[in-house]
Amino acid sequence: MKKYTLIISEKPDAANRIAVALDDKGKAIRENSNGVPFFVAKNGDKEIIVASAIGHLYTVSGAKKGWFYPVFDYQWVPRWMVKKEFLKNRIWLKVISKLAEDAEEFVDACDYDIEGSIIGYCILKYACNSKEKMARRMKYSTLTREELRESFINLLPQLDFALIEAGLARHEVDWLYGINLSRALTLAVKNSGGIYTTLSAGRVQGPTLKYIETREKNIRIFVPTPFWSITAKISIDNHTFELEYEKKSIATKSNAKVIRAACKVKEGQIIKIDEKKFQQKPPVPFDLGTLQSEAYRLFRYTPMQTAKIAQHLYINALISYPRTSSQKLPPSIDYNNILRKLSKSAMYQKLTQKLLAQPMLKPNEGPKFDPAHPAIYPTGNLPEKVLDTTAKNIYDLIVKRFLAVFGEPALKQSLKVSININQNLFFMMCYHTLKEGWIEYYKSYVNSKDISLPLFFEGQKVVVKKVTLKDNFTKPPPRFNPRSLLKKMEKEEIGTKATRANIIQTLYDRKYLEGKQNMSITDLGFEVTEVLRQHCPRVISSEMTKKLEEKMEQIQLKQETRQNVIAITIENLKNVTETLKQKQLEIGTQLGQKIKQIRFKKQTIGNCPKCQTGTLVIINSKKTGKRFVGCTNFFENKCDTSFPLPQKGAIEPLATPCKTCGYPVIKNLGNPKHPWKMCLNLNCPTKEMKKNEL
Amino acid sequence: MSCKICGRPSKKENYCNLHLKAYQNICEKFEAWNNALEVSWIDYLVSISKNSLTGEWAKEVVKYLIEDESRNVKEK
Repeated sequence: MKKYTLIISEKPDAANRIAVALDDKGKAIRENSNGVPFFVAKNGDKEIIVASAIGHLYTVSGAKKGWFYPVFDYQWVPRWMVKKEFLKNRIWLKVISKLAEDAEEFVDACDYDIEGSIIGYCILKYACNSKEKMARRMKYSTLTREELRESFINLLPQLDFALIEAGLARHEVDWLYGINLSRALTLAVKNSGGIYTTLSAGRVQGPTLKYIETREKNIRIFVPTPFWSITAKISIDNHTFELEYEKKSIATKSNAKVIRAACKVKEGQIIKIDEKKFQQKPPVPFDLGTLQSEAYRLFRYTPMQTAKIAQHLYINALISYPRTSSQKLPPSIDYNNILRKLSKSAMYQKLTQKLLAQPMLKPNEGPKFDPAHPAIYPTGNLPEKVLDTTAKNIYDLIVKRFLAVFGEPALKQSLKVSININQNLFFMMCYHTLKEGWIEYYKSYVNSKDISLPLFFEGQKVVVKKVTLKDNFTKPPPRFNPRSLLKKMEKEEIGTKATRANIIQTLYDRKYLEGKQNMSITDLGFEVTEVLRQHCPRVISSEMTKKLEEKMEQIQLKQETRQNVIAITIENLKNVTETLKQKQLEIGTQLGQKIKQIRFKKQTIGNCPKCQTGTLVIINSKKTGKRFVGCTNFFENKCDTSFPLPQKGAIEPLATPCKTCGYPVIKNLGNPKHPWKMCLNLNCPTKEMKKNEL
Repeated sequence: MSCKICGRPSKKENYCNLHLKAYQNICEKFEAWNNALEVSWIDYLVSISKNSLTGEWAKEVVKYLIEDESRNVKEK
């Protein structure tokens, strides 16, 4: 059989793009073996087969079976051997192994980052029979035909082993932390109270949860204090303006009243106008963090959603590689070419042509640098199909941001007008844009504070229309939202750009967090953090995680070894697991009590409407296996209230009782898209009304 | 000893760590309220118990303190 070059890519869509780009005629042949697709391309006299992974095909797993801890022996194994849901990967790996048998050259074309490098390395090492050392590497930042072909011509002579070592270390360290802490907590609860529930904790999960817990504590112990503020409405040349009293907060009500009384006059006078002109620099190009943050601000997309949408745009060769931490746009990406291609779209034509007319294009770059990829930029390719709204929003945001970074600084004017109302000083701040500059390109995404100004002059009289005294209270700190939590993680340097959004999602999956926009910690999350704080505070400290992150970065720079980092991790964990084992009973009882309370709370529907003293709870009948609602006073022979329940679908008690009869109301979540509410009272008039309606 | 609010192990004044912090906060803020509105301790407690910005644990402590005050009044 004729020998060929086997290229390994990260996902089937990327494999298709690579094959089409490398094929001289731009028409790769899609083949499949046992349902696993691969692509055949002709490049000069070379035959190329592009096979793909489907994300990670290999993972870390314990070397010995059984649910015990501490666990320090591990190995890399196919993922299907660890989790049943990945069973189809088995055939996938077989097909890749078969294709590797007749290949004479191997190329790793997975994404050029830590995760991509591990995916390619593991396949070459384990599925292709140790071809990792002979394989060469494709490095590209966009999936455009030009860049892929150029990258294939200029293949890197070998894989980036330092990056791979750093990645392997990260996976192994995270696995060691995750498995040991999760098993310690789960077994503590099981062994002390016989409760079966899976609890988890991890290296980055711990500190992240602690941030939310600390914030939540401050909110829950918060006591507001009163203060007063005074505003005045004035009129100048038929324009109405709102003024603020010179002190933003007045601490006593009596003082505030005196000031307001003094201001009840008909006229005031402008005594001073401070005018300032200042330049506002263009924004910097997007790295993944700033894109996620901006997408949340503008569209309320979660970081995870934005990452997914950006990945989709990247696979379709519309934008460059999104999982970058760079804020630099090197000239090698060819700004002019991108702008020319974008100008074919009617939406961007006017703006791009304005930039193309500039004598020189120089982006306003940010400080962050990523050796593997530039900042996120549009490739210039226009969407071949109509994008859905979310993708369209992110694509437009990336294009306009790219245009804006080449814009000139905006010129703004601020006016601080001081007005005297009966010997009391008030201020008014006005902003006005004198020259738009970059704002012209990013207009739809800029919050403008501009107001049209009449002519002000010192000594000018103003008409006082209204003076308002407002009662205020100090506010508790705000809860984290996906954007602010991501920023906090970035600031504290825990996790990576690629993993932070997933870690937040894991905290939701573990039921430690609730609330999408205002994140709050659940009772279970509180208790887990409290247990870790009491017994192994290092696990939830940012310091420990930060130090490990630094060590892993040093591996990438060849200043540290993977073996050393793993040894340090195991040493740390030995102390932690020993403490957790010694205090197993105490920890288990503490967590077990909380879990019991939470479970009881979930089963609790509300107060019994008949006896008024008992509580209605969901009971599963041991006799019939059916569920129903009964009163807790039944067990004391005091009340026999019971209500039937639908037998399918999760039940959630609602806080507000039925508006018609006052009985408790439940929500059935059997169909998550169409949950329905039900009043427990079989004789509730609403039921009759519904029957009649039908 | 256990916390008079939630039953967790208590550290000081028969409050657990969390409720103790809430209690200290309540005591600390009274001065500001008294300066601002010239309110009595009990009026202050009633005001913060009704305020939607008061935290959940602080409200639990306030509820206990109000009940405690009325018990004391009855005893007298």
